[in-house]
Amino acid sequence: MSAIELKTVRKSFGVVDVINGVDLAIESGEFCVFVGPSGCGKSTLLRMIAGLEDVTGGDVFIDGKRVNAVEPGDRELAMVFQSYALYPHMTVERNMGFGLSMNGMAKAEVDKRVTEAAAALQLQPLLKRKPSQLSGGQRQRVAIGRAIVRHPKAFLFDEPLSNLDAELRVQMRVEITKLHRQLGATMIYVTHDQVEAMTMADRIVVLRGGFIEQQGRPIDLYRDPDNAFVAGFIGSPKMNFFKGTLRPDGKVGLAESAFAPALSSRPGDNREVTIGLRPEHFEIGGEASVALTMEIDLIENLGGNSIWHGRLSSGEKLLVERRGYHDQGLGSSVQVSFRPDDALIFDHDGKRLR
Amino acid sequence: MRPRTLTAYGFLTPYLLIFLAFWVWPIISSFWMSFLNTRRLPWTFAPQANWGRLLVDPAFANALKNTLIILVVQVPVMIALATVLAVLLHSPLLKARGLFRFAFFAPVVVGEVAYAAVFRLMFNYEFGIINKLLALIGIAPISWTSNPTAAMALIIIAVTWRWAGYNAILILAGLQSIPQDLYEAATLDKVSKTRQFLFITIPLLRPIILFCIVLSIIGTMQLFTEPFLITNRGGPGGATETLGMLLYRQGFLSFNFGYASAIAYTIAAIAMALSLLNMWAGKERR
Ligand SMILES: Nc1ncnc2c1ncn2[C@@H]1O[C@H](COP(=O)(O)OP(=O)(O)OP(=O)(O)O)[C@@H](O)[C@H]1O
Ligand SMILES: [Mg+2]
Repeated sequence: MSAIELKTVRKSFGVVDVINGVDLAIESGEFCVFVGPSGCGKSTLLRMIAGLEDVTGGDVFIDGKRVNAVEPGDRELAMVFQSYALYPHMTVERNMGFGLSMNGMAKAEVDKRVTEAAAALQLQPLLKRKPSQLSGGQRQRVAIGRAIVRHPKAFLFDEPLSNLDAELRVQMRVEITKLHRQLGATMIYVTHDQVEAMTMADRIVVLRGGFIEQQGRPIDLYRDPDNAFVAGFIGSPKMNFFKGTLRPDGKVGLAESAFAPALSSRPGDNREVTIGLRPEHFEIGGEASVALTMEIDLIENLGGNSIWHGRLSSGEKLLVERRGYHDQGLGSSVQVSFRPDDALIFDHDGKRLR
Repeated sequence: MRPRTLTAYGFLTPYLLIFLAFWVWPIISSFWMSFLNTRRLPWTFAPQANWGRLLVDPAFANALKNTLIILVVQVPVMIALATVLAVLLHSPLLKARGLFRFAFFAPVVVGEVAYAAVFRLMFNYEFGIINKLLALIGIAPISWTSNPTAAMALIIIAVTWRWAGYNAILILAGLQSIPQDLYEAATLDKVSKTRQFLFITIPLLRPIILFCIVLSIIGTMQLFTEPFLITNRGGPGGATETLGMLLYRQGFLSFNFGYASAIAYTIAAIAMALSLLNMWAGKERR
């Protein structure tokens, strides 16, 4: 039985359809990440699971029980907000214990749970402080602590790290992942940062315009995307896309070369397609079989690796990622090559051809 | 002083002169005057003539008592009412919110004389709508301006009507500054709406409510318009005479400026003391 299940769930605000029929089953103990561009409905979907938004159509199940009409407080879920939503007038301790004591839990038990959570999150020295006396990262930890003490059926996170600086974000990312492993709890995590999605998720759900574009393990989405949107969204630096022609003989024409990608069927006629190639699939020089000429615009050296920005003879932009430090002359041309099996072919509507 | 600073003071001089002449000087001078016997010329230094008189003057005791009674009843009632109004005005269920907000704020912008006239009409013994309404539910007509207790009630009702909406708008601003997600977090924690109000809304509104209370204390200590215009100059027989009324009578009817100054300083001192007490009591303790 899935911990949380959505069946053709829809949501409209007035005449605006925000969620257009989402089917999803999240297993118990799973770390599920919703990603997608801004406005695609990630928060709305999460808030529908929490009960903060009504469901316009379809059903939401928690532990096999339909909860469409169940009050948010009775769903036994805990949510961590992007803004932290800490009570400004309460100490850290009181913030974490507030929900419990309001529901009549004995003080000793509340204290025990707060102490446990504080220990897990290194919050002990801060228990007597108010939120205004904490740093962003500490506030975030308190917000997570407030969720932990509830012993909820599932944790819901809505972009919890987006107000933190880059370094802290990496640190909290690791901490939340560890926490997930320690607690073995079901977690749903909303982000628009695909690095968070890749590194934290057991399963990624990619949303766009209120639809699920694809869901699966991070590496499957990375290697085997169903469409150009997912291919472009997952992975950094972004996948390269080129225009090309798929010919009846099964070969694809790209700039001055042609190659045979791994496809099971051939079209009857010439067909306009999009070719997707990840930056790390290119080699400098012609060792791999398909060669292209790239004019170098810029090389970003990150120390350990470098990202080459260039153009093909057709004018299409190209990113190439290489290990090591490089300072080739800008404006000069080099030969780059890739293996035909690495190329992903997408139809004109963005659907992957296999 | 550097030339630039001098130039700046040069530009400020006209303002500073006027400020000194019409603001600082009257304050100092009235303080000095409160120690003078101003009942006949020439004015002579006689502290007991004014400050001593305050202690024994039954008219002052009466005005002080009336003012404090109005204060003690009116301020809490009005602030409670304003808080309730603010919550209602904040409710997403309310339609035409802008209209309601304006309507509750409107009494503040109505001219004092017009407002007093309307109240006198409404509370008129024979023709007033209030007594007509009371008659409907079987209550005998009340002579609002000749019964001392009813006159006090009338003052309290009028002041409350005039300022409750103003305070409600201030409190509403406080309500709107409380982030919505605090309530969402509490809802997910199964905290009832009533408890959310008691444990989240009220504590977070505390500074603004405190501010409203202090403003109201200062305003009510100076109360003048209502007893002057609505209950016929503090009538019946001084039953609604406030400190503000007494000050006016002493200063501008009897021309006893020394005594009026002493009363003015007493009003200011009491208002300040009550405000400080209130701020001290309302301060967060850890
Ligand atoms: N209360 C509302 N009334 C009307 N439209 C809304 C409401 N809440 C959200 N929307 C719309 O629904 C869409 C999805 O919003 P949502 O907040 O779920 O996006 P999101 O994926 O979380 O975006 P972001 O990454 O920016 O947080 C947006 O187009 C938004 O304008
Ligand atoms: Mg969002």
